[in-house]
Amino acid sequence: MQNQLATMLEEAGREIEACATANDILNTKAKYLGKKSLLNGLYGRMKDLEPSERPAFGNLLNEARQQLETLLNAKSSAIKAQSWKKENTDMDFSMPGMPSSRGGYHPLSIVRRQIDEVFISLGFEIAEGLDIEDEFHNFDALNTPADHPSRNLADTFYVEGGRLLRTQTSTVQIRVMESYQPPIRIISPGRCYRNDKPDPSHSPVFHQVEALVVDKGISMSDLTDTLQNFASIMFGARVRSRIRPHFFPFTEPSAEMDISCVACSGAGCRVCKGSGWLEMGGAGMVDPNVFDILGIDSEIYTGFAFGLGIERIAMLKYNIPDMRILFENDLRMLNQFRGEL
Amino acid sequence: MKVALSWLKKYLDIPESVSELSDLLTFAGIEVEDVKELKALPASVIAARVVSAEPVPKTDHLQLCQVDVGEYPFAQKGEDNCVQVICGAPNCHSGMIAVLALPGSILTDLEIKSAKIRGIISNGMLCSERELGISDSHAGIIELPQDVLVGTSVNELYMLPDVVFDLEITPNRSDLLGYLGIARDLGAKLNRKLIEPELTELSVNFDRLKLGLKNMEPELCPRYTAQVFDNVQIAESPLWLKVALIKSGLRPINNVVDITNYVMLETGHPLHAFDYDKLASEDTNASHPDIVIRKARPKEEMLALDGRSYILEGDELVIADGQKASAIAGVMGSEFSGITPQSRRIVLESAAFHPGSIRKTSYKLKLSSDSSYRFERHLAADKAHLISQRASNLIQELAGGELCGPLYDEYPNPLPDQYLAIRPSRFQLLIGHSMSDAEIQAYLSCLSFEFKGYGRYQKGLQSSLEQLLVNDASVLPSQEYAHYYLVPSFRVDVSREADILEELARLSGYDKVPQKLVNQQIMDRHAYRIRNKIMDWMVNWGCYETLNYSFCDPRQMEDLGYEPQSLPFINLINPQSSNQSVMRVSLIPQLITNLAYNLNHAERNVKLFEQAKVYHKTETGHQEPMQMAAIFSGMRSAEHWQSKAQTIDFSWVKGCLESMLGSFHLPHTSRSCERPYLVTAESRAYFSEDTELGVFGRLKPELLAKWGIDLSILKQDVWIIECNVDAIVAKTRSVSITYQPISRFPAVLRDLSFLAPLQVQYQDIREQILAIDPALVQEIEVFDEYRSKQIPEGFRSLSMHIILQDQEKTLTDERVDQLMDLVQKTLTDKYDIRMR
Repeated sequence: MQNQLATMLEEAGREIEACATANDILNTKAKYLGKKSLLNGLYGRMKDLEPSERPAFGNLLNEARQQLETLLNAKSSAIKAQSWKKENTDMDFSMPGMPSSRGGYHPLSIVRRQIDEVFISLGFEIAEGLDIEDEFHNFDALNTPADHPSRNLADTFYVEGGRLLRTQTSTVQIRVMESYQPPIRIISPGRCYRNDKPDPSHSPVFHQVEALVVDKGISMSDLTDTLQNFASIMFGARVRSRIRPHFFPFTEPSAEMDISCVACSGAGCRVCKGSGWLEMGGAGMVDPNVFDILGIDSEIYTGFAFGLGIERIAMLKYNIPDMRILFENDLRMLNQFRGEL
Repeated sequence: MKVALSWLKKYLDIPESVSELSDLLTFAGIEVEDVKELKALPASVIAARVVSAEPVPKTDHLQLCQVDVGEYPFAQKGEDNCVQVICGAPNCHSGMIAVLALPGSILTDLEIKSAKIRGIISNGMLCSERELGISDSHAGIIELPQDVLVGTSVNELYMLPDVVFDLEITPNRSDLLGYLGIARDLGAKLNRKLIEPELTELSVNFDRLKLGLKNMEPELCPRYTAQVFDNVQIAESPLWLKVALIKSGLRPINNVVDITNYVMLETGHPLHAFDYDKLASEDTNASHPDIVIRKARPKEEMLALDGRSYILEGDELVIADGQKASAIAGVMGSEFSGITPQSRRIVLESAAFHPGSIRKTSYKLKLSSDSSYRFERHLAADKAHLISQRASNLIQELAGGELCGPLYDEYPNPLPDQYLAIRPSRFQLLIGHSMSDAEIQAYLSCLSFEFKGYGRYQKGLQSSLEQLLVNDASVLPSQEYAHYYLVPSFRVDVSREADILEELARLSGYDKVPQKLVNQQIMDRHAYRIRNKIMDWMVNWGCYETLNYSFCDPRQMEDLGYEPQSLPFINLINPQSSNQSVMRVSLIPQLITNLAYNLNHAERNVKLFEQAKVYHKTETGHQEPMQMAAIFSGMRSAEHWQSKAQTIDFSWVKGCLESMLGSFHLPHTSRSCERPYLVTAESRAYFSEDTELGVFGRLKPELLAKWGIDLSILKQDVWIIECNVDAIVAKTRSVSITYQPISRFPAVLRDLSFLAPLQVQYQDIREQILAIDPALVQEIEVFDEYRSKQIPEGFRSLSMHIILQDQEKTLTDERVDQLMDLVQKTLTDKYDIRMR
């Protein structure tokens, strides 16, 4: 009987090794461990043995059973593991992966949203206004003299009904100050219109963002700090900023804002025409006349305002040479910005 | 800390209601965790004497008692004023004064009735503290002192009704760990004077009992006082004292221990009492015991009053006698030296310990007590002798002790007086409103800060006022103008100007802090987000954003099929050219121009959008609504070697708009739409209620020729989407997402295939099925549509998954079959649908 057992184990070992599927394992298990298996039959023949021999033989049978189970389990696990272990070796791994079908934002939108983020992080709110405005909000309230040349048809678009297309987003400052008492911290991005023929640096439709802060104790140093923050976040930590005297009817003192040239870092190059500085826009302390017109006590409150051209910032940031490119909507331009934002 | 109102009122005049008081405490900075009202008991709950108590036969614990109710008028009492009551409490015995609730009394959770127990009438109940709602103790019935008059109302004895506040004291305020501290703070808030208990001068006639006192750890024990008493009568405390302790959550033990606990709760400063006769001498020949303040010896063992034995490591501070530890300093006393009914001579300890050392010991031994809780929060040393005096007064009064000599007082380094400057100008700067000199002084005087004068501000604690006070302080600039105060020693948390400014802000009320206007909600944040999200959606769907001028050519609107007179154009007075002569009313013409431009530049697949304002003339002026429009032609995505690119078609464009609206959680309906430039059959408009949110559709091929686009050559359709952005913004304002509990029961998926007449719309079928059982039918997903010659003329084949789920139970096959039968029946009846 012991010989029979040994032969059976040897045979079973070979068969288990040859199993290729989960089904083979089941069949093999039934054959060697099932009811009709040799092993099971040997258990039945225990009673023929001398009682003294039975325990030893019983142990032998149990060991054999255990051995078979271990082999079957190991093979079964191996088959399971194998069935999802797929190795590709004949593939060209340099073939392109699935492309994204995502589109992209217009570069002016990218810049506008970046500016929004900068100012929202600095505690500003975004205010909105109308494109079609009246003369009061575009000129009068901004302290512009009635005979100022900017009011001419050659400079400003007028529409029927005596209204005009705003020439600057400063109109929103006026609207906000009409409705809210200080403290005010807003920016107002939006479209502006001037009667300029399209050329590399002009467009009849363009975008501005205007900032206005009115509170107790606001001084020109708040302006320079905000400007420096803006420049560093938009163009990098190393960019410097400065203001220099200028004239605007609605600010006193007025200033032009410059940042150090983003192309040459101030050394002087073609982009900055050798000066090392790039003009960013107009700024200044809100003229007391503007406060008076709006009924804000200029003895208590002071404020600063500045305006930035979004086209100019985008052109500097992305090295776009001609403003008209921004309004052609050529996919070969647009798809260059798909990764941005 | 549990604070009973009846006790608190000893120190402060408090006419306020319970809810007012809760608010006052909360806004004084003392959080009220719980308010427990102890209700008045009925008049029929009285003190009564148990005259006899006999075991009830055949029970193991019931006793039949005759209880004397005195003159209390009660019908069932006998001629001897006695009432018969059955009692099961083990401590019930004849002669005791107990609390009897007569029939008709309604206690917290039971009504007392005359009842038969084992065939014997019981006319009332003898009560435990828990039954009266006074404490949680249910160990036995209440035994009142013998001097209580029979028939007295229990309300009087227990000072009921009463309120117990459970207060959370922040860890910095050790001064609030006693009734006096709470009353002081509350008094400051209400501007009322604190009523401090009067101290009686101690007269010392004896000098009989000596005590050796040695402080070896002055760092860890800055002060130790000991008072020795002789002839103390250890007994039960008087009822008022017991009641006070019980309401504050402590168990009465005996008069001396109760007094130490009472003074601890009153002052916040723990005390301890030793049995003088149990303390050993250092020198066995000496005639007096010793107290040695030292660190524990390594492995020194002490059986504490909690019945547990603690093995000390060596860095714990102990109060030892001449031989061994008799208390873990500030934490717990030892069993052997504790006060027992046999004690005659006692030592009263009032000391100060280093808070860190107490905390470390308590943490290490996992042993915390009312005492360690207070000491580890830092108690000042300089009032220890007064606290001892307070307890001594009570011991003499209630336990008849005789003083045996003056107070032993080890206080090598008394704390110097500390002064602090505060500036009213600084209060205004930090808190936001101003406070007058007088207001500041009133609040701080209530808090026991003694005003010393005006002077020039100096930062931090000062030990001397010389050269700081100024005669005429009004000449000082406001940022230097300061008040000087002596800081009370128990305010260990106050060492800087800011600490006092906090007190002032807290007491004057945080509700007085003015709200400064910083942000006015000028920005429409919702609109800003939604517009950005619409743009994000279009970009993610594959579109590039365009920007076009705001003016356009009015003739292009004619090209789209509009009557020019019908459009609300706003004309420019000075246009640059005739094709830019009006403000645009639609984004579509320029998008077609953009499409044509890109097709002309050899780009076959074009997906563009613009989100911008259009301009409408109105009766009164004009409007500038925000719109989004998109144009599509060509392939959905770029070609890829693995998968063939698909053409942009109806369902792709529909998916773009529908799933965008879905992403905003906007419920919407759709129907076919009429636009002069769209193929009606292949266009749909989306509505939320009656508001149009957007449309999509295929552009009529013939009008594209006006832009130079020849579809016969191009051979691809052109699709557009237009969205009314302002409407989407407005409709999404009220949208909120509410989490739906996930059903714990599995979902069941069933498939349904049928032939449907061509004119029957999927949307109608879907709505029919959903309506059958909205609670059960979770989703319907159509997964196949099939049209072929094999299918009868005028029909198509549709296959859909129906997903069913119940929130409450597992769906049985039976229930699902029933529902599916109903679905089939409904569809066949309604639409001539044939099941497959």
